[in-house]
Amino acid sequence: MSAIFQDDDDDSVKLYSEDPAWADVVPIPQYQGVDALAPINYTEEYQDATNYFRGIVKTGEMSPRVLQLTEHIIRMNPAHYSAWQYRYRTLLALQSPLEDELRLMDRFAIDYLKTYQVWHHRRLLLVALHSVDAAAAELRFIVRALQDDAKNYHTWSYRQWLLAHFNDEARLWAGERAWTEELLEQDVRNNSAWHHRFFVVWGSGVRKGDEDREEVRKRELGFAKDKIALAPNNPSAWNYLRGVLDHTKTPYSTLSTFVQLYTASSAPAADVFDLDNPPPSAGAELPSVNALEFLADIHEQEGQTEQAVQVCVYVVLRYTFTKHFVAQIWKSLANEHDTMRKKYWEFRIREAMQSR
Amino acid sequence: MDSSRVAVIFYSLGTLDLLGAFESKTTAAERESWRKWLWEQQTHGIYGTGFKPGPYMTPEGQSSESSEYDAPHLIMTYTALLSLAILRDDFSQLDRAGILAFLRACQNDDGSFSALPRGGESDLRTAYCAFVISSLLDDWSGMNVDSAITYIRSCISYEGGFGQAPFGEALGGTTYCALAALCLTPSTPSSPRESRLTPAERTRTIRWLSQNQTPSGGFRGRTNKAADACYCFWCGAALNILGAGDLVDRNALATFMSQCQFKFGGIAKAPSERADPYHTYLSLAALALLPPSDADSSWDLPKLDPLWNASEATASWARAHIPAH
Repeated sequence: MSAIFQDDDDDSVKLYSEDPAWADVVPIPQYQGVDALAPINYTEEYQDATNYFRGIVKTGEMSPRVLQLTEHIIRMNPAHYSAWQYRYRTLLALQSPLEDELRLMDRFAIDYLKTYQVWHHRRLLLVALHSVDAAAAELRFIVRALQDDAKNYHTWSYRQWLLAHFNDEARLWAGERAWTEELLEQDVRNNSAWHHRFFVVWGSGVRKGDEDREEVRKRELGFAKDKIALAPNNPSAWNYLRGVLDHTKTPYSTLSTFVQLYTASSAPAADVFDLDNPPPSAGAELPSVNALEFLADIHEQEGQTEQAVQVCVYVVLRYTFTKHFVAQIWKSLANEHDTMRKKYWEFRIREAMQSR
Repeated sequence: MDSSRVAVIFYSLGTLDLLGAFESKTTAAERESWRKWLWEQQTHGIYGTGFKPGPYMTPEGQSSESSEYDAPHLIMTYTALLSLAILRDDFSQLDRAGILAFLRACQNDDGSFSALPRGGESDLRTAYCAFVISSLLDDWSGMNVDSAITYIRSCISYEGGFGQAPFGEALGGTTYCALAALCLTPSTPSSPRESRLTPAERTRTIRWLSQNQTPSGGFRGRTNKAADACYCFWCGAALNILGAGDLVDRNALATFMSQCQFKFGGIAKAPSERADPYHTYLSLAALALLPPSDADSSWDLPKLDPLWNASEATASWARAHIPAH
């Protein structure tokens, strides 16, 4: 049912008004009232198809040709939510095989990755199918879809919804954490993958095998520290680290030793390797502003206001230096530095001084 | 743009409003016909009264009665009401009771709001629209405020921002929606306004928002993504709502905006992209809220109401002219 409008060699427009198979439908033009605001210059093809769609909606017909018509309209305007709504109800009324509809949607999703309706329709189909097998197949489909756009918000939301909605440990949740690890190996700055990991490990309940929360905490802190070692200025990894500490109510000071490796101006001598405190990778840009911020937070949590202020003043001075000297001399370097947040650090100083 | 026409109109009219160009660029007759067109999108039906995106599903010969597939839409209702305020309408045609009924039809059991009475997206954007509509009408009987606030709070992410929906990654646009909504609602016995964000949450949100101003001067919407003009408004206004607007490097922000300006007019999402009404309006709104300190008077823009996202003059007009009960 999906192929009829896809003949790319045929440039002639298919009009329902010229198709005998649609002769029994009375087309209804769009309402024309007062002078239109922001008038739309419709194509003949779109106008003709939507005239017939309004005709169908009026009579309430739900038939296979309605599926053709709505597909045609959606291809021209994937945000046409009425066409989507009507299509969904027609599928149910005809008891159409919803798996077939999903396969058609696989192509739609890739073509219209950023259209909300494409994903919303999938959700409705999955709810109607009520099948963990179908949900598992969807997880595999999403892996492919993310290869085209690794941070697409709709795609990720859909995955999180699938997992929470079907909530099947063995068939759905089991592979999730390992998969985020794969994604982060490809791109350690993929924040969507970091977020997903947090959702899987902390945000969605306790996964099978993760019952010992103390072990999980250690594992996740270790994971984040290893990734920070690879890229010490990656805010995604630092945010995850903070997220784990906040969620488990662990004082930041427990990571003092680790953080100090990253607040120094240069990497430590590499003679002793402490697995709990991996040092910055060779060539890393130090000190890491993220680490300095973390250090200031440690001091604040411990009530060491003087030290917290000192760290902040140091960062502000560094910003000033970076902005006025480094930026002019080495423009490219300035892009590496976070030069924007001087005011944030000044704010931190004010806040710390007030709490004194 | 059939299904989002009123929203595009709002961004276009809002741009003229912020540029103070209404009197010089439009005629009284045009403004009158635009008001008429917008009122034609107000539609009544079993789910109450609201605005639809345009007449794209309206059959010839029928206008104000909505059918199931020609139903009012929450986002369009918000943008239509503000568009009418920009056009200085007297709101005598507003169906208050119908709009409140429509809001109730859109609210779900978990406190969230669907864009349409029977389905459609439900996330923090639609929640924000429901909150602004209630605030415009100065009437909160169209929603269960406590469950709506519970829903909004369930979208907080560990990073400090709010996701589009529960479990979602922190995102600039929906963080603005959440903070504005929490701020718009008056205190209730079970939810005093100051309790809606703990001090620790506030600190974390400020930290995340400010982390999103990138070396380009523009804001990104998510950690490690590229800057985009619209997030200059969403993140900048969110900081403003938290009383931390002075953390933005405004001169760098203005520099980024000027780089996003398209050579034939308008402002694009990023340098060398094409301009559109959405990014143009939001960029101007960001500059109105967070003007650069070192610019000449050509950068002067009217003051903005950060919660409704409209110029203060338009917001006052709405307050004065939307009839009370």
